[in-house]
Amino acid sequence: MKELEHIFMKKNTGKKALALLSASALSATMLAGCGGAAPASSAPAASTDSTAVSTAEGAEFSYPMSGDHAITYWTTLNEIMSSDYSNMGDSPFGKGLMERTGVNITFQHPPTGQGDEQFNLILADGDLPDVMEYHWMDYPGGPEKAIADGNILALNDIIDQYCPNLKAYLAANPEADRQAKTDDGNYYMFPFIRGDDALRVTIGLMIRQDWLTELGLEMPTTMDEWHDVLTAFKEKKGAAAPFCYEYKMGSLTDVLPFQFAYNTTKKFYVGDDGMVHFGAAEQNFKDFLTTMHQWYSEGLIDADIATQEFDQVSAKMSNGTAGASCGWAGSRMGVWSNAALATDPNYDLEPCPVPTLNKGETAKMGPIENVVPNQGGVAITTSCKDIEAAARMLDWAYSDEGHMYYNFGVEGVSYNMENGEPVYTDLILKNPDGKSIANAMVDNIRGNYNGPFVQDVRYLSQYYTLAGQKVSNATWLVKSAAKYALPPITPTAEESEQFAAIMNEVNTYRDEMILKYILGTENLDTFDDFVATMNSMGLDKALEIENAALTRYNAR
Amino acid sequence: MKQATPEALATATKTAKAPKHLHSFGYRARKDMQRNWELYLLVLPVLIFYFLFCYKPMYGALIAFQNYKPALGFAGSPWVGFDNFIRFFTSPFFGRLVKNTLFLSFELLIFGFPAPIILALLLNELHAGPFKKTIQTVTYLPHFISIIVVAGMLTDFCMSTGLINDIIVFFGGARSPLLQNPALYRTIYILSDIWQQIGWGSIIYLSALSGVDAQLYDAASIDGAGRFQKLLNVTLPSIMPTIVIMFILRIGSLMSIGYEKTILLYNPSTYETADIISSYVYRVGILEQGWSYSTAIGLFNSVVNLILLLIANRLSKKLTETSLW
Repeated sequence: MKELEHIFMKKNTGKKALALLSASALSATMLAGCGGAAPASSAPAASTDSTAVSTAEGAEFSYPMSGDHAITYWTTLNEIMSSDYSNMGDSPFGKGLMERTGVNITFQHPPTGQGDEQFNLILADGDLPDVMEYHWMDYPGGPEKAIADGNILALNDIIDQYCPNLKAYLAANPEADRQAKTDDGNYYMFPFIRGDDALRVTIGLMIRQDWLTELGLEMPTTMDEWHDVLTAFKEKKGAAAPFCYEYKMGSLTDVLPFQFAYNTTKKFYVGDDGMVHFGAAEQNFKDFLTTMHQWYSEGLIDADIATQEFDQVSAKMSNGTAGASCGWAGSRMGVWSNAALATDPNYDLEPCPVPTLNKGETAKMGPIENVVPNQGGVAITTSCKDIEAAARMLDWAYSDEGHMYYNFGVEGVSYNMENGEPVYTDLILKNPDGKSIANAMVDNIRGNYNGPFVQDVRYLSQYYTLAGQKVSNATWLVKSAAKYALPPITPTAEESEQFAAIMNEVNTYRDEMILKYILGTENLDTFDDFVATMNSMGLDKALEIENAALTRYNAR
Repeated sequence: MKQATPEALATATKTAKAPKHLHSFGYRARKDMQRNWELYLLVLPVLIFYFLFCYKPMYGALIAFQNYKPALGFAGSPWVGFDNFIRFFTSPFFGRLVKNTLFLSFELLIFGFPAPIILALLLNELHAGPFKKTIQTVTYLPHFISIIVVAGMLTDFCMSTGLINDIIVFFGGARSPLLQNPALYRTIYILSDIWQQIGWGSIIYLSALSGVDAQLYDAASIDGAGRFQKLLNVTLPSIMPTIVIMFILRIGSLMSIGYEKTILLYNPSTYETADIISSYVYRVGILEQGWSYSTAIGLFNSVVNLILLLIANRLSKKLTETSLW
């Protein structure tokens, strides 16, 4: 059966590629035809010359595009933006993007919190928007399968033809290039790229420095010190939930720094032997769970850890119920500090380094994102008719002009150049409507969250206004973290279904058991059974697939 | 009996060679349609509804036997026979899912089904007045609250700092996060379900109760029956057919508990008792894109439902002489 399916898919990919070729050729001729027939196009920047040879190399092409171009663009609407605009197309950012690229974009947004569900439903329906922004590595089976399934296009030819800016960036940045494509060398998205290593560490532990000072305690660096500090918070500061964070948020729980103290992680990682390991199935993880359970049973970790969400955690962090947390420097540390500072001028949330087991050790593993993180990438779907418009619109972000627009907005409006550096104006930093910096940024730029562009580190020092935020990257960075982090590897299209089926069961079981071990509803003596059960679910096979994928990745 | 005259009239006025077709089904149906076209027009939307939403999607169930890929379409996806069913039956979660679904279903049936009947009987004993009206309104209202809101309230109430824990502490208990305790999950689910549905569910019984002949009560009173005896010997037998029909209908949808409330209330620490077939289908099908696999599970669920319905109907026919068909 697998064999048959394999042949079937191959055949289909061939067909799709053919369709793609003819489609792009068609759209190219159509555009040339348009330009010729209607030289009195309204766009002033586009000369008649450039439209006539626009298909040649892209060198003579200029923005905004001439002629009528309309594409549909599916993306989740940033939560902060959603309080101001119900559609990205209404925001200053969206309007400016359309104006500058000459492409009329119809943005489609899923309801808040239902992004993944809607994404899959749209795929099932088959009538896809022209371009879709998604965390494509999470497409079941990976991006190669998204291409094989006939949902998105391989972009290699399109990039060659229409995307000189992205092409130039990837050529100059081999690491980003390697992470932005599949094993087979297929480009599949206009990637979100962390333009600086400082941008790759955004999550970490944070603690109430004002409490530490008041109690005469040092910043904790080992697990034992953390235990003592949290106990002191509970006993002396009356904190009912000394350590409290959004456990349900996978992106936080996956990189909870306490697990790195034990040189482990709940997910796949690359070990010292250069092989892929599954952290949750190893002895170190049991040690981590033992400590977490001990802390939970002593009331050092919030009792409601498994059910609470952002609002409850925010309240606890701001009102003194909790004294330490795990989260982002911007949307957590910044938000809570600013909320609390209104009533408590001494409130001081500071980042904590990744803890170790013994005093004076340096951590080996740490939270770090890949250069091309799994977010904000935009793919062109098989339903897209005007492929050139979609590709050109997206490629603009990687041009100098687009780079500044995505990161800083419009010169003279949202930023000014001072001594050759972009500095945000008061529209962003002291918003006349009283919006927070994060809010003003999200309305005007995408530099402070994600999207299909190269993120510029120069936004960070202006976005982070608090002393704690400014040192967060340096504090949270573990130098060797990248060595252990799993690069964006993908199983082959044939293996991916088996891999997805195995990991679906393993992950469900793992998440359930981890929580039970921490809460104490399951005794840690059964850890060996837990590992054995995961192996019986096919973890060995999954590791085999991952290791083969890593080998292929290293060979890219 | 009515058919004959108008038909005869019609044929007589139209043609002479009609008698041959006089009794054919097609002819009679056509005539009937002509005569009662308003009624047919009325029933048409319902037929269209059933065709579009109940029968037309049935062919889609065939993807349970395929490795369905939306981009390849129904015709293009490869057939895989019973692979998806085998995968489900051999899944480590199979036993737990079926057990949880059955337990939740039967507990909902045992505790949830009688509740509206009891409420209706109690309300029936009250004299109509502002008090009765208020009770009815108050008990109906929760039915109209969105499940999202109900689940949000429950999550807050069940937190270790929530309302329910405040009450427990008032009576000398200890605080604990209730929704993280697998042993309490079904109780919370069922109690909240009863709270939400009891008033709405009692409407049909109240209407049945209003149809009970008052003379029966008078006769019973003359025979010296008390309030409780009248309830047992007059009221209950009178509404028994309604109860039985409602019961059979309920059995038919026994296994088809929706995923909505479950996915809003559960978390990995309560999967053990909370994860049911429909929530698993949701996770696998919608979140993991296992279209065919989740369809196979859904189909399995429907078959179990159908079997339960047939058994219940057969039993009811034997025991109470009331049945759906």
